[in-house]
Amino acid sequence: MIWLTWRQFRVQALTAAAALAAFAILLAVTGPHLASLYAASKITGCHGFACGNAANAFFGQLAGLDTVVYLLGIGLILAAPAIIGIFWGAPLIAREFEARTFNLAWTQGVTRTQWLAVKLALTCLAAMAVTEALSLIYVWWANPISKAIGVSVGGPQLFSQGVFSSVSFASHGITPLGYAAFAFTLATAVGVLTRRVLPAMAITLAIFAAVQLAMPLWIRPHLTPPSHTVAGIFAADLAYGSLTADVVPGHPDAWILSSQALNPAGQPVTSIPAACSSVSYPGQKGGASALTPAQCMQSHGYREAISYLPTSRYWPLQWTETGIFLALAVALAGFCFWWLGRRRI
Amino acid sequence: MSAVIAADGLGKRYRRKWALTDCTLSVPAGHVVGLVGPNGAGKTTLLSLATGLLAPDAGTIEVLGGRPAAGPAQLARVGFLAQDAPVYAGLSVADHLKLGARLNPGWDTGLARGRVDRLDLDPGQKAGTLSGGQRAQLALTLAVAKRPELLILDEPVASLDPLARREFLQDLMEAVAEQELSVVLSSHLVADLERVCDYLIVLVASRVRVAGPVDELLAVHHLLSGPRRDPATLPDGLEVISASHTDVQTTLLVRTSGPVLDPAWTVSEVALEDLVLAYMSQAAGRRRRDNRRHLEVQK
Repeated sequence: MIWLTWRQFRVQALTAAAALAAFAILLAVTGPHLASLYAASKITGCHGFACGNAANAFFGQLAGLDTVVYLLGIGLILAAPAIIGIFWGAPLIAREFEARTFNLAWTQGVTRTQWLAVKLALTCLAAMAVTEALSLIYVWWANPISKAIGVSVGGPQLFSQGVFSSVSFASHGITPLGYAAFAFTLATAVGVLTRRVLPAMAITLAIFAAVQLAMPLWIRPHLTPPSHTVAGIFAADLAYGSLTADVVPGHPDAWILSSQALNPAGQPVTSIPAACSSVSYPGQKGGASALTPAQCMQSHGYREAISYLPTSRYWPLQWTETGIFLALAVALAGFCFWWLGRRRI
Repeated sequence: MSAVIAADGLGKRYRRKWALTDCTLSVPAGHVVGLVGPNGAGKTTLLSLATGLLAPDAGTIEVLGGRPAAGPAQLARVGFLAQDAPVYAGLSVADHLKLGARLNPGWDTGLARGRVDRLDLDPGQKAGTLSGGQRAQLALTLAVAKRPELLILDEPVASLDPLARREFLQDLMEAVAEQELSVVLSSHLVADLERVCDYLIVLVASRVRVAGPVDELLAVHHLLSGPRRDPATLPDGLEVISASHTDVQTTLLVRTSGPVLDPAWTVSEVALEDLVLAYMSQAAGRRRRDNRRHLEVQK
């Protein structure tokens, strides 16, 4: 059965291996350049404001190719589960129905359960391995950029993806394992239902894209209990006229889940109070005061309440999210066993 | 005589439509059994149930004394060649043999190699590029080389041209003779079955209309022709299967265990095909009458 699985799977496997190798070569070629730029920058051992400047200088030195690879890599890791799912998972069973070869496969001296178990397990493990390998190579390559992002302050928009950002979180750590297993088993299960490869591909793509969107927007923020703090109003993004926090004092890489400006009585406020709205920026002509709105609000006793996830929650959150997707994958695989075990064709 | 397939009240439903209802039949061991019936009689469904590809919705089916596809051992005892002989288009002939060897504990490598050589199949050729006849031969090789006790073939020659059809059946007969296995093959063409089967089951609308060894069936059925008369006036012991009349003449296909002594009849042997068609049209006529009665009641 292992032989048959490999024999039917080897073209896809070799294609994936070739793609992985091409990606690895690209990163291996551009990686040392990136590492030397980082070594030459003054980020290592920097203190205070010097770090932000050094990081920005480092970003400025990155070649166009580095930027392209940086974005391409994240995109590839995010897309890999879907691509693998629709090209490996969707045809896994659906192709047998389309070509009616299930008649052949399920009347050999191997039970349907064994047949499915070997096929699902081996191909799913391969899907997880390829995706995680992509992620690991990329993490190695992008390490200088990640470190620079860690110390940068107000760097270029392109390099502002903290560890908790939706694209970074799903492409680093162990989450690619969960996404790969989920997308693969989803595609297989959909293929079992549709019995047609193309519809299974399309449906899988739609569901997986929806899940990839829903996860960071609505689900991930609730997976682990947040920390709460009340910070000075300076935490708010007042420079842009907004009262939502953009930084947690003392936790520069934290993920801000929600924030709320409070008046001195502790009641929430949604707009800059009148007393401070007329103030203007230092140096602005005709300014009524030398105070910025933030300074004004701070002096009036306004504060910012923030709920956030500190970086210490990064790995618990990674495990939780991966665990959820692995559990879903197990459930979808179980569905395949049950559905085929009913023996209705 | 033990049964290789024993079905009792067997039924199978696709969504709400029954493809097979209340089917009770027994296929004896040691025969090449032809399962014949019109399209939609439930032949494929019955054979899929026998191979365990499907599970019954009603009744029971036992194959070689066990539940179909109950485990690897049961699967190994039954060889199956599905309709249109599906094979993996991307796998070569040699790959298919390897597949058979890896998945079947009783695989006979020598037999498989020998067949492929004798059939002039190129081991390196992709199965997707084989002709229909070659594909059927390859699929049969897979089914035979696992050394089953029972070989089930679903419309094995339906898609083959007459020459390939004859070659396939000849080859099948050789394999059967060598291995002493029981065979069930379905077809809606009696001519194909006549050449290879020694036992016949006529299945119409899930019901067994007639079953028995071919020579026995031929011995007890006669074609009578004589002056026109009402079939109801025939003596006891003669069962009329079909009757046709012209103005002056009546032709009857009858079943009787004894000889027909009435000198008014010219008795002749009946061809297997006519016999099968008579039973099929008898069933069809009965159904028409039932429908008509049903309509009259409704009025």
